[in-house]
Amino acid sequence: MMPAIEFRDVYFRYNEDAPWVLKKFNLKIKANETVAIIGHNGSGKSTIAKLANGLLVPQAGEILINDRKLTTSNVWEIRQKIGMVFQNPENQFVGTTVKDDVAFGLENRGVSRKEMIERIHTSLTEVGMEDYQNHEPHNLSGGQKQRVAIASVMATYPGILLLDEATSMLDPRGRKEILSTINDLKEELEITMVMITHDLHEITLADRVIVMNEGQIYIDTTVDQLFNDHQGLQSIGLSLPLTVELAIELEQYDYQFATYPLDNEEFLEALWTSNLKK
Amino acid sequence: MDIQFEKVSYTYQVNTPFSYQALKDINLEIKTGEFVAIVGHTGSGKSTLLQHINGLLLPTEGRVQVGDFLLSRKNKRQDLKKLREKAGVVFQYPEHQLFEETVERDISFGLKNFQVPADEIQTRIMDALEKVHLSEDVLAKSPFELSGGQMRRVAIAGVLAMNPEVLILDEPTAGLDPKGQQDIMNMFNHLHKTKNMTTILVTHQMNHALAYADHIFVLADGSVQMEGTPKQIFSQADELKKANLDMPDVLSLIKRINQMFGTDIAYERRQPAALAKEIAERLRENKRL
Ligand SMILES: Nc1ncnc2c1ncn2[C@@H]1O[C@H](COP(=O)(O)OP(=O)(O)OP(=O)(O)O)[C@@H](O)[C@H]1O
Ligand SMILES: Nc1ncnc2c1ncn2[C@@H]1O[C@H](COP(=O)(O)OP(=O)(O)OP(=O)(O)O)[C@@H](O)[C@H]1O
Ligand SMILES: [Mg+2]
Ligand SMILES: [Mg+2]
Repeated sequence: MMPAIEFRDVYFRYNEDAPWVLKKFNLKIKANETVAIIGHNGSGKSTIAKLANGLLVPQAGEILINDRKLTTSNVWEIRQKIGMVFQNPENQFVGTTVKDDVAFGLENRGVSRKEMIERIHTSLTEVGMEDYQNHEPHNLSGGQKQRVAIASVMATYPGILLLDEATSMLDPRGRKEILSTINDLKEELEITMVMITHDLHEITLADRVIVMNEGQIYIDTTVDQLFNDHQGLQSIGLSLPLTVELAIELEQYDYQFATYPLDNEEFLEALWTSNLKK
Repeated sequence: MDIQFEKVSYTYQVNTPFSYQALKDINLEIKTGEFVAIVGHTGSGKSTLLQHINGLLLPTEGRVQVGDFLLSRKNKRQDLKKLREKAGVVFQYPEHQLFEETVERDISFGLKNFQVPADEIQTRIMDALEKVHLSEDVLAKSPFELSGGQMRRVAIAGVLAMNPEVLILDEPTAGLDPKGQQDIMNMFNHLHKTKNMTTILVTHQMNHALAYADHIFVLADGSVQMEGTPKQIFSQADELKKANLDMPDVLSLIKRINQMFGTDIAYERRQPAALAKEIAERLRENKRL
């Protein structure tokens, strides 16, 4: 199957005096895959997302979206298929009201008026912002801004969804709710999804996890395998979810874990089994 | 500086179609040297409340007393410079407080404004950078040419450099990498402990509220729905659910372990290593019985 996103020997730096942020960078993301990108501050995650939707242009190498090379002449057209939620949602508001903000992306894509009304309603309801339709996006609370940014992007039914720390201002429950909504849409519409995050619970949704370190891929793995190299991860600015940390500590007391548990239920199950065998 | 909210209400954009009441009759007290966490669902009023503490917003009704400063509508014209020097706010979005051309100028802006001597400015900047784990080479850069987490660190450094008596933090770990989150929370806690810094933390991470706060306020829909010690707050799972919040992971986990194995492990702010040891010991005892 052709990849949805492909980076081929990409070089990028923000200006000529600055060091390369990405150097001979290669990455392939399959259609319908959900990929989490994690890594220390300044490791290049947002830069990758901005290159993928053509906001930044590499100095060398090429970027392909659905097998088509991104160029200055097709970037507008290709970007129609990509939905991106920025790290700071304030950078993407275009409407003077929440409703207009969602509508804008739909108008741009030629969605009919009837369907527009329906999608605005559904997407705002799904993120819990239906009561704020007539508010100004810039005068919302931090978390509300993120919710609206997500709704605006989801409403466009993007083929590729790039989420750059899109839920960083939400509490764990709010985050779970929003991510499950996004996941439902993904199942329904077959979306390729890239989630940039610092939240180690969030990555459990991903088929694949890419860990960035200083502009390079440190490891490209699955969620289950990720924490096998826990020492390495800690040395590059990551930490471990509580359940993983507990499991590692419990190994000293002869408890065994086949894979490191990523949530409470997995942890309990593994602890139960391991305790029986002791 | 003791802080007291008396019947505080706040309405945004009064007398416009956008008018919105964000705080409703808030009464609360924060004592000098306390570490307080404020939690609540999206839009519950946390940031609005914080901005009352250093007079960025004045109550529509009621009053806020911060040390010697009485903040109210009637008292609009007082000079709040001294208050702002003592009560430093780290905003929810770092972009809202960064504005200078270089990081160095950004961090030193407040210091100059408050007439800190030039030679001391340099030491304060270096000290603040170290606290947020940034290297000196960011100083010459524009704060807007940094990654999100780097910006966050600069914003925190700018406030720390002021040596505030009251540190007001609005989701300070959002955007930090996981290790940065731990380091910076520990750093805040250390400042709180060693300098008796009053610390007011808005956070959506219940784990942080649990691990660091002396006292927690739970906001819901502009009102204080619950308040108490972490122990009191987090023993009321149902109430918490009404405020649309979850229990901290570590407490849910301990609870389930206790149910599953019939143990009575308590959290006691144990670090993971100590908690693992406790689990192992209790399970071993259990087997012997
Ligand atoms: N607009 C810019 N101009 C110049 N340099 C930049 C700019 N944006 C980012 N950088 C630099 O490029 C590098 C990668 O930044 P990027 O934003 O991709 O990191 P990130 O992995 O998203 O980090 P974070 O977790 O903090 O968001 C960093 O060293 C950063 O300082
Ligand atoms: N400038 C403004 N004008 C009108 N309403 C506003 C303004 N700022 C905030 N609000 C509204 O006030 C309420 C409280 O906002 P606040 O920013 O205090 O919430 P919060 O608890 O900090 O939420 P979050 O966790 O999402 O940051 C929200 O419903 C918000 O939409
Ligand atoms: Mg980033
Ligand atoms: Mg807020």
